[in-house]
Amino acid sequence: MSKRIPKVTLVLLVALVCVMAAGSALWALDLGDILKVGGVAFLVNQYGGKIDSFITSALGQRNAAAVGATKVVPILSLGGGGYIGAAQVVGNPDSVKKVKAVFQLEGRIGSFRPKILVPTYVDKVQGTPERAKGVGVSAVIEFRI
Amino acid sequence: MVRRSRVPLVMAVALLAVLLAAAAFSAVTATSRASERNGRPAGEVLIGDNLVMVLLTSAGIYSPSDRAGIVAERLNDAMSAGLQAEQLSARSLPGGEGVYAGERLIVSVYGPEANAHGSTPAALADSWRDSIGRVLFPGEALPEPEPPAAEQPAETPGPAESAPPSGELDWTGTAQKWVPIFSLETEGAYLGAAQIAGPTAQVNKVKGVAELRLNFQNIGRIYAYVPTATISITKLDRVQGVSVWATGDIRLAKF
Repeated sequence: MSKRIPKVTLVLLVALVCVMAAGSALWALDLGDILKVGGVAFLVNQYGGKIDSFITSALGQRNAAAVGATKVVPILSLGGGGYIGAAQVVGNPDSVKKVKAVFQLEGRIGSFRPKILVPTYVDKVQGTPERAKGVGVSAVIEFRI
Repeated sequence: MVRRSRVPLVMAVALLAVLLAAAAFSAVTATSRASERNGRPAGEVLIGDNLVMVLLTSAGIYSPSDRAGIVAERLNDAMSAGLQAEQLSARSLPGGEGVYAGERLIVSVYGPEANAHGSTPAALADSWRDSIGRVLFPGEALPEPEPPAAEQPAETPGPAESAPPSGELDWTGTAQKWVPIFSLETEGAYLGAAQIAGPTAQVNKVKGVAELRLNFQNIGRIYAYVPTATISITKLDRVQGVSVWATGDIRLAKF
């Protein structure tokens, strides 16, 4: 019996393919990069609970931990060199449960650094990625692709 | 000819009836859909085919149909957890009224929503609770509504004590705003603006966002956003339930 590909991995791979197809990436992607993205996404999905506890514990030492509905999901950052890692999301408990990944769009205009964080879920009816309302990012650990 | 006992047959029929009843109950789910009332967008909540609630107002970033979707999910969660008639109640929450399934908030009712229905928050919450109860528990008595706050005994906890814990903040009344962000990094200090969002009462408390960041050249980076209630570098007073959506900053000092 074939095993289904996790939706989050699918979303990340589709995003990567889109970036490659657009030809707008400033860095070259090879098979190693794709494996790195898939591998990190897999590990984050497997150990999200432990990473969530680690982040909460680390921030808790400075009374800065997010309490309540939190979850760790893969994050893919584009526009600032390319990073993949884990993001702790916080917000509306109903929406936090649905979030599958976070996409971060970064830029640099001189010394100005704009950044947009897009927590994303997959619409069960349409099967398309959608922005999760009421959810934002609390903390991020990511590695350069 | 051997005559079979009727007992196993009766038991089998009874078992089948129980299974059918259980299947019928478990098949009931709450759904939502977008609609219009007097040319204005509305969100409808249904249980099975029965309309139990119409939401007419937006709350923060949530349209009426978004709110209806949230309410439907909460109802489904409550039904999955084995909701009973006596758990369904309408009672006060800070700034308004709420319909609850046990301790689980299903929907909150504030002034604007009640005004749009030509009602009061308490009356509208009672009406929605009754609608849900009639569909899920036909013929069963629901708990009596709580008396108005003025008639409550003196030992009734105040709003601060009766407010839900931070993990159960009321997300149907949400807001967003831009606040200053101060980022301390290995390369320097940055200052800019951050867009935050969360429950209205929590967002109002936020004075700024502190970003703590460690960059490891060519390897990776670790950073955290902490929405704080005070502008202080030495003390972080995190406001719970608030998150960061976007930032923009420039470098103030280079280390």
